[in-house]
Amino acid sequence: MGHYYDIDDILIEEELVSVVFQKAANGVGILDPGAETSTVEQGSKVELPFWLAHELHLRQAVSVNVPACFDQKTRKEIQADAACVDLRNRCAYFYELGCKIAPLVGDKTIGALLLYAFKSRYKDVLIKAHTAAFSLAPKFMTLLTNEETNLYEAAQSSMAAFKRWRMGGARFQRAAVLGKKRRPDD
Amino acid sequence: MAGQSDPHFSLFSAEEVEFMAEDEMIEIVPNMRMDPLNLLCGDFGPFLPQIATQVPLWLAVALKRRGKCTIRPPEWLSVEKLTEALEAERESPRVFQPLPFHYVEISRLLFDHARDDIPDIYMVRSLVEDIRNVRFHKIEINLEEIQGRAHAVKIKNLSAMEVNIVRPFVVRALQAFYKHDSPEMIDQSDTTANRRPQVADHVPRRVVRR
Repeated sequence: MGHYYDIDDILIEEELVSVVFQKAANGVGILDPGAETSTVEQGSKVELPFWLAHELHLRQAVSVNVPACFDQKTRKEIQADAACVDLRNRCAYFYELGCKIAPLVGDKTIGALLLYAFKSRYKDVLIKAHTAAFSLAPKFMTLLTNEETNLYEAAQSSMAAFKRWRMGGARFQRAAVLGKKRRPDD
Repeated sequence: MAGQSDPHFSLFSAEEVEFMAEDEMIEIVPNMRMDPLNLLCGDFGPFLPQIATQVPLWLAVALKRRGKCTIRPPEWLSVEKLTEALEAERESPRVFQPLPFHYVEISRLLFDHARDDIPDIYMVRSLVEDIRNVRFHKIEINLEEIQGRAHAVKIKNLSAMEVNIVRPFVVRALQAFYKHDSPEMIDQSDTTANRRPQVADHVPRRVVRR
């Protein structure tokens, strides 16, 4: 499990993954929009948030499918040109979810896929973060996953802070109380 | 020592790096008479008219602002030296020239406070700017090479401000690489290497001893 107070970690676990129930479950029909009774039949396919799927998987109640963002089509696109794939649209937490889901689904290629994708997209983030003008950024930013966005913003904010320093500005900051003149009646 | 402005990431702001640069020594020529200053960081002076003496940059700037001295720009801050440095920077796409660790900050402080003491200030200023740009571009080229489970990036002769600019980015990038190239995630995949050949050609990894 991740960090208890990490908001991103909580949001990752909200991602929906599709699971197949291995056992019939009573009284949880709400989970399956197609269910007519309050029972989820054995073998029915349901989308559950990751945190629930994970717990049920540990109890061997469900088996987890590989999420759509790691399917063959995405893999081919990533191999063709990783930098242009719109990963944010597929899954904003592509890397983190991949790390969490790989042991559950037993798909051993996900780790390599993540590394390959990150390696090839990292260079693009590096180059654009330090040089691209702010006006160019929004279009490019829509492709990035959450982790890449953090990386991009870290680079850009430190560059912006440096530029602000170089341009100068107020070199001495006065405390607000210092500037005031004292009135005679004080 | 960690930065104070951002307690969360222990980063330095540009102003904090400048503050540290102010401890560098510089030569001044006073135009007044003053007893030696005995400060915690050392003894400076005595100050006699037309006798050059070494003081920290912050003291030099303070005296200069009061019109009590002229600052002698350091040797590297001259048109010849900077032109040489710029050419050398351009010639070698990987190697960085050994400039003073705080060259960005020192040159900015001197440009701001002692512009009349630097000969050819416009030329010098644009040379420093060019050098900084060339070097920063080289840093990016160097950083492009981060791959896999790197524990550190080794780039020689970087200056304080240059390191400070890329620090947040590099830290995050290294963390991400470290996570995604961890043996738990990757080593399993070696059995299926034939399915994705261009992904799985890894150099043997060293496992960190704990």
